[in-house]
Amino acid sequence: MVKFFQHTFKYEYNWDSVTLAFWLRYPNPFASHVESVDVIDRYVDPHTGVLRTTRLILKRGVLPKWGNGLIKKPEAYIIEESLINPKTQTMITLTKNITHARMMQVEEWQTFRVDPNNREFTQVKTEARVISNFGWGLTERVEGFGIKKFADGAAKSRKGMSHVLEMIREKQLLRGRGFLTI
Amino acid sequence: MSQSIGRSCDELKKEYDACFNKWYSEKFLKGDTRPECEEIFKKYRDCVLNAVKNKNIDKLLGEARKDDPFSSIAETK
Repeated sequence: MVKFFQHTFKYEYNWDSVTLAFWLRYPNPFASHVESVDVIDRYVDPHTGVLRTTRLILKRGVLPKWGNGLIKKPEAYIIEESLINPKTQTMITLTKNITHARMMQVEEWQTFRVDPNNREFTQVKTEARVISNFGWGLTERVEGFGIKKFADGAAKSRKGMSHVLEMIREKQLLRGRGFLTI
Repeated sequence: MSQSIGRSCDELKKEYDACFNKWYSEKFLKGDTRPECEEIFKKYRDCVLNAVKNKNIDKLLGEARKDDPFSSIAETK
């Protein structure tokens, strides 16, 4: 069983800032469930100049109450893969859970590009897939939960990104006026 | 700045993140894609992979990273 989710959003910040905010987005006040973020692989392809990164993210408390009985540890490891091409100004990210994947696998793809109508803005396309393998009528419920949780989570993560983007803007303003040297 | 999965890696992570963020905004985005911060990254990464092993998630991680999810994406190549 598979369910899909699609969404397009515009950040009123340029592509450079949005991609930087992607690295800096944790911690933020809208992601208190994120415990740790680590880069486990990163390199620049010498032929294309594309930056390829793999990060491991640990989140806690992401389960529904009725699911608590089903899972031993209330923690979830997430893997985040990304590609950044500075020439074409394209960032593609894939985020998926690696724990509890038999119960429910959520895959989120995001593409960040310069807004064709305004070069100072950034367009983000999000596509997600929720797959679960439960029997006994639970599958429908788990996937329905997954989509709702995903939509809530996506709204929260946009708030988190906006918060970090605002911080970046303030820092750049200060630096521009010579208040900050880093 | 966020924490590391291995508490003993926090300092290395801090140092690496600071190096990367500077390189990313001042070099990479401006077209200079020559890598930097490699020495500190190696130390930080070794520490993290060790923590991953201690938490018994190394196999799950290996499994999840078996296939390159971007192998069919031509536009960024």
